[in-house]
Amino acid sequence: MVFIQKRLCRRISEWTLDNGKHLVCSLIFKRGYTMKVRNMRAKLFVVPFTILILAGFSGVAGAAEIIIGALNDTTGATSDVGKDYALGISEAINYVNDQGGINGKKIKLYQFDYGYRIPEALTKYKLFQRLKVAAVLGWGTGDTEALSPTVTKDKMPYVSASYSGHLTDPKKTPYNLFAATDYSTNARAAITAWFDEKWPKHPDYGKRKPRFQCSYMFASAYCSAPIKAIKDQAQLLGFEIGPDQDTSLLAIDTKSQVLAMKEFKPDLVWHGNTTMSVAATVRDAYALGLGADHIVNNWGFDENLPLLAGKAAEGVMGASVCAFYGEEVPVMDKVVEYGKKYNPGVPREKRLVRTVQAWANVLALWEALNRADKAGDLSGESILKNGFESFQNVDIGLRVPPLTYTAGDHRVAGKVPIYEIVDGKITHLATPDLKGRWPDKWATEWLGW
Amino acid sequence: MSTTWLPCGDYHQSYQEDHGWFQTRFLKGKMILLALCLFVLIPLVADSYWLSVCNTVGYTILGALGVQLLIGFCGQVTLGHAAFLAVGAYTSTLLILEFPWPGFLVNWGLAYPLSIVIAAVVAGVWSVLFGLPSAKVKGFYLILTTMAAQFITVDFIITQYVAQIGGRGQAFSLPPGTIRVGPWVIDSDLKVYYMMTILVILCIVGMANLLRSRAGRAWVAIRDNDISAEVMGINVVQYKLLAFFVAGFIGGLAGAFWISNLAAISPEHFPWFWSLWLVGVILIGGVGSLHGTVFGSLFMVLVLEILQLAIMPLADTYPKLLMDFLFIKEATFGLAICAFMIFEPNGLAYRWWQIKNYFNLWPFSY
Repeated sequence: MVFIQKRLCRRISEWTLDNGKHLVCSLIFKRGYTMKVRNMRAKLFVVPFTILILAGFSGVAGAAEIIIGALNDTTGATSDVGKDYALGISEAINYVNDQGGINGKKIKLYQFDYGYRIPEALTKYKLFQRLKVAAVLGWGTGDTEALSPTVTKDKMPYVSASYSGHLTDPKKTPYNLFAATDYSTNARAAITAWFDEKWPKHPDYGKRKPRFQCSYMFASAYCSAPIKAIKDQAQLLGFEIGPDQDTSLLAIDTKSQVLAMKEFKPDLVWHGNTTMSVAATVRDAYALGLGADHIVNNWGFDENLPLLAGKAAEGVMGASVCAFYGEEVPVMDKVVEYGKKYNPGVPREKRLVRTVQAWANVLALWEALNRADKAGDLSGESILKNGFESFQNVDIGLRVPPLTYTAGDHRVAGKVPIYEIVDGKITHLATPDLKGRWPDKWATEWLGW
Repeated sequence: MSTTWLPCGDYHQSYQEDHGWFQTRFLKGKMILLALCLFVLIPLVADSYWLSVCNTVGYTILGALGVQLLIGFCGQVTLGHAAFLAVGAYTSTLLILEFPWPGFLVNWGLAYPLSIVIAAVVAGVWSVLFGLPSAKVKGFYLILTTMAAQFITVDFIITQYVAQIGGRGQAFSLPPGTIRVGPWVIDSDLKVYYMMTILVILCIVGMANLLRSRAGRAWVAIRDNDISAEVMGINVVQYKLLAFFVAGFIGGLAGAFWISNLAAISPEHFPWFWSLWLVGVILIGGVGSLHGTVFGSLFMVLVLEILQLAIMPLADTYPKLLMDFLFIKEATFGLAICAFMIFEPNGLAYRWWQIKNYFNLWPFSY
């Protein structure tokens, strides 16, 4: 088969050299040039292009390299947070290689922007398979969930930036992992923190049920992933739940949604979108006097939120799965150093928690690959079993909760730190312990959604 | 008369002969070679990646066939065809996941094939609904009504209501083993490839036959001049709606087929951009040509994949090239349409026709 492919490639090359130059000549060069010049220029164009195509056809890594594929969104609906995450991925991989890679083997990263388009992600995944990647660093919920059955069948470790609760049950999605608490846990923790910390201070406390509403893009798998969980938690805590509002991930004006919310008069609104859209909603809620508090999923809560929403961001609460950029926590010095070294054009004050999230996923994968390699087997199954599922409270720094993945549960922690914006700064508010407070529900009922 | 080569001049003595599919042995030989290539050579040579690229080509062909019928053969401009693909995909998925199929149908692997047929009919009827304005409006106004199909169907009905059915969130995952055709579980790129090839062949043969029928001639007459067509006794509205039905039917087939490749769907799979893309496919391939649909799909998918492979070796030196590939891809799409409009307005099909004629006439090009 390889012989046939080589012959085919050689034939294409010969054909391209023989015929392509005439085609290229006729398309590119004006009349009046001598044929000699045309031939020469055609060769200048055709030869490197052919070599590139052939190299691409046979393009796999050298012997001492481990290939990792990465899917990122730097141009699509979630690019407001995706750009920084993408920078973090490449910087973290550079750091891993500088540290000696995987027991001496360097990592070769193929990083693609897929524009938050699921069909594009599926095609890229097939390309990764062809490149024989050891693992994939994925991005969105829609594509990660769509790829999940394929990933399971292929036994491909898939470490995603999607922290969807649907990906935490190893019985259904054994090869989906991430170094963070999942969206459902984050949402349950955020609503619990508000119920514990803020509701008792409300003038209507004890007089009526608190009112709760959700604002997110219905069509986005990411935004809607924790809806069932947060409504379940709202019911558990005794909230009155209002109708959801469909707010686009690309929204810059959300007045109609806010006006619709005003009819229900919520005390608390959960935002499931990313930062740009959340900032627009929070701003409009402030301008139109909605009078509700806000809790935000982790991809909508970062250093940009107070900058974009200004005064309106005061009191907004959100979950974060790791330390914010530049905070004094272990490994952060490396994060900042590599940011400066590899992307000096992006100043430190513009970097976000997204970089840190990317590092967390890469560092967790690094540890898993190291363990699998030490066990002498870098297959997907080994990376899962000898790698991730051998983690017992592994501390990767960056204030990521100690990582434990078991064969029956891929949720990393039941405690989620919840932050609040006070005077334009993100400050710690509370850390609800869901696992400790509802141990039965945590163990059996809440897994996988 | 020679059975290998057609002689100069027209010696057909009946309409059957004139319309025969394989008029010479040579043509039969070519078709057998093509079949061997599609069913034996490609599955043997191509790895999983290239099979998935072939599947994308097939999906594009199936999607673009309906657009070709509407724009290329019936003159009804559409910019909302992804909506009918979505209707097909969701109908098939919901039928598989929610419909209480009798046990024997599931055991015999007939649930998915039946769901494809039902999905195609539903998409066809849905397409007719949005084709109704074509009775009154044409040109830019029709473009707007077809765009409305996209937004009403995908962004409103599917997103707000259909995707909520079953309470499983936005993405409908199809558990492994649910997509079965007879005894075969469609769980690999190769099986999807075979299914795609058969569907594409069936649709192209069906369309080619339709175009040679009374309906096909009526569509072409409407495209060329609807007033003249009406004067000739063609029921313009009826044939326009029939075109919308057939286009929607094939679109539904495409959507229902595509779920076998995805194992999950969400409204994000059917953006408006895909409707635009399908129009680009037929513009590049050649408007008003079935060959054009195939060539356009091959060009749009393969050229971009090869371009990607070409830049991959440069990734070591310029890592940002890979990250910027989406820009390159979209710029190439725009550039290709501009280039074809300027240099080859009749599309790749016309070039194919010229090449074929050159060899048919060789060495005496009279």
